[in-house]
Amino acid sequence: MDSFHRTVAIIAAAIVIVVAAALALIVMPGSSPKAPRHLANGYSGVIPAGALLRVPVTGIYPGGTPAGLNPNMQNPLANDPDAAQRGMKDFDAFNCSGCHAANAGGGMGPSLSDDRWIYRSSPANIYLTIVQGRSAGMPAFGAMLPDRTVWELVAYIQSISQKPGKDFGDTTSLSPPSPGYEQVPAGQIRTATPWKYTEPMPANGAKPGG
Amino acid sequence: MKNRRTAQRSFPLMLATTLLIPGVQRAHADDLQAMMQDDKQWVMPAKDYANTRFSGLKQINASNAGQLRVAWSFSVGSNHGQEAAPIVIGDTMYVVGAYPNELFALDATTGDLKWKYSPRVDPSSQGEACCDVVNRGEVYDNGKIFYNTLDDHTVAVDAKTGKEVWATKLGEITRGMTLTMAPIVVKGRILVGNSGGEMGIRGWVTAVDENTGKIAWRAFNVGPDKDVLIGPRFHPYYKSAQGKDLGVTTWPAGRWQTGGAPVWGWLSYDPQTNLVFYGTGNPGPWNSNLREGDNKWTTTIFARDADTGEAIWADQLNPHDLYDYDEINENLLLDLPINGQTRHVLVHPGRDGFMFVIDRQTGQIYSADKYDTQTSMSSFDIKTGRPQMVAALTPLLGKNITGICPASPGAKDWQPVAWSPITHLLYIPHQHLCMDYKTGDVGYIAGTPYVGATVNMYAGPGGYRGEFAAWDLTKRKKVWAIHENFPVWTGTVATAGNIAAYGTLDRWFKVVDARDGKLLYKFHGPSGFIGQPITYQGKDGNQYIAILSGAGGWVGALANAEIDPRVRNGALGYTGAVNDLPAFTSGGSSLLVFALPSDKADARP
Repeated sequence: MDSFHRTVAIIAAAIVIVVAAALALIVMPGSSPKAPRHLANGYSGVIPAGALLRVPVTGIYPGGTPAGLNPNMQNPLANDPDAAQRGMKDFDAFNCSGCHAANAGGGMGPSLSDDRWIYRSSPANIYLTIVQGRSAGMPAFGAMLPDRTVWELVAYIQSISQKPGKDFGDTTSLSPPSPGYEQVPAGQIRTATPWKYTEPMPANGAKPGG
Repeated sequence: MKNRRTAQRSFPLMLATTLLIPGVQRAHADDLQAMMQDDKQWVMPAKDYANTRFSGLKQINASNAGQLRVAWSFSVGSNHGQEAAPIVIGDTMYVVGAYPNELFALDATTGDLKWKYSPRVDPSSQGEACCDVVNRGEVYDNGKIFYNTLDDHTVAVDAKTGKEVWATKLGEITRGMTLTMAPIVVKGRILVGNSGGEMGIRGWVTAVDENTGKIAWRAFNVGPDKDVLIGPRFHPYYKSAQGKDLGVTTWPAGRWQTGGAPVWGWLSYDPQTNLVFYGTGNPGPWNSNLREGDNKWTTTIFARDADTGEAIWADQLNPHDLYDYDEINENLLLDLPINGQTRHVLVHPGRDGFMFVIDRQTGQIYSADKYDTQTSMSSFDIKTGRPQMVAALTPLLGKNITGICPASPGAKDWQPVAWSPITHLLYIPHQHLCMDYKTGDVGYIAGTPYVGATVNMYAGPGGYRGEFAAWDLTKRKKVWAIHENFPVWTGTVATAGNIAAYGTLDRWFKVVDARDGKLLYKFHGPSGFIGQPITYQGKDGNQYIAILSGAGGWVGALANAEIDPRVRNGALGYTGAVNDLPAFTSGGSSLLVFALPSDKADARP
């Protein structure tokens, strides 16, 4: 099976799994939010759409309070230690890495590696950005990706994002060179925790590692 | 063919005009070729159909260029990469900015704004453009300015009033297609090519009637002969280009449909033979393991009949491209002495690092010489028309292959050269980069990238990243070269004053002596330069040189977009090679216009 058909097969398989999962939940309205046993890997259930509708994409609340909104909704896969690893595979399979680059350094789409966010940073914000798309070029993946896959992607993106330092702002200068370090290239190490593997940033665009 | 002209806002007006003045569509008040020869003006980005970018003006020359200063400047208001060439018609300059592609008309002498035209470009198109949201320029004919918008419209605007004449939608962004190139006008038709080689598009050139906006013909670059407009008049020089439906049979079943071969660079035209010439881009996906075969007609130079689009000959320079060596680079049409005889040639400074000199009537390659470090191809066989590949650098799925030169942007990318008939030298702005390259699985999903490669670029041997070189086409060698810290991503212009001009990403606009490369003038601009310099004469009699400042494009996206300099593989692998760029420049949007101080200019020769 070539990669194109493999991808189609992966998508098809994922859709089957999620439709089954969704049906399982739909037939149990009002039941416990705990996942049915057959849903492995800690997926704790679908968040009601009404709750997601109340996730703000801004830090301003008229009247000064976010009361009634859900600014801090968590990833239902937050306790699944393998979710980020699966999300890394999804990130390639659905061509996220084509726009955002391997390790999400950015390119056609913005970087997701550096803790700077256009549409805000909570897991639900990232979820909504993937599902709805964004007007400046982010495609709406809601029609293609199962809910669970989206949360896996969210887990991966949370895993690879890192603030460069403790400061409020970043300084860019030639001397001293900044930021002074960089990730080991993704062609050498591909991992869901790329910030564990860094090396000094070479000067003048030289080849890394000497 | 889907989506022929789905947008046609001013159709009723045009219909009325056509009815009132029968035959007006055939009338050509302007003699475009005469205008190209008039050095006071600059009517198309490449200056002329031969793509020389040479001007006979010499008020600014090698002895006084050191006196240059900024005469006026203007902001196009969009801090993305500015790759466009301004054009000058009469006393008016026209310039288009990066997305959202506003078009400005300015008094070419004073810089006064006459009007601006603001198209309703779909913001989503920004997510379909591979390498920043650039636009390479506009073109003039018969009272109208023509250019492309990122969201696949070609528009015609009245040159005097700025009113829209027509807008034709040529493609779909949701299929990964955008338009970034500068069209050319040939015999009343606008020739447009599409972008999206990283998105699995199907490349084409489309001819649009300049009066009506209607499509006259469209030639695909992949697919069956009937779509590629290959018929009885097609006589390719090389055997490997001969055969039926090669645009289908040189691909795994059906893969040509997402095979790329876009046309986002330059077209040239030979009025003597009525042929248009252009190069096609890379095959999709970059991962070559997924597309066994030659993958015709990617990375190919086509000669086509300008009236019908029929293919006349084709040279595929990088069969089964391994490294994203698009061959969309410009083709200069020159008459050169070859082995004691004057030949009508096409000069193609290849992305793969070879300087090709080709017979423009037959497609026979006379010579192919390396003009920068080349490790991926040992030589180019002009007998077979194919490069000799270095087997050790062949991409293997999942293996990180190191030390490939040139890197994916090639020895030279889109940034066009200039040719001086006085020095007989070709001026080449280009990069000097190598890379590591790892292919990986990728599936086609319409509207998303179709790449399948993780790339890591870095400076080439010697530690510099760019060069401005002068090449002798007759002696087939480099005469002089200026090493630059960053890739040189601007076009260039050469003049009868024996100067050549270019810009750098670290914000220098430079004028050098065209004979020996000696630096005559430099100016620290507001942002890095990736634009195309042009020159013209104002109504005050002064000569001007104009260029857009604004770092970006593939090479400089790191300077204007939300890209992390700590992740080398960003921007399709370009980030690592320019990760210090943000310490030199941010994005920008300024047009700079240079001239001599008026007392110096008045004393012109």
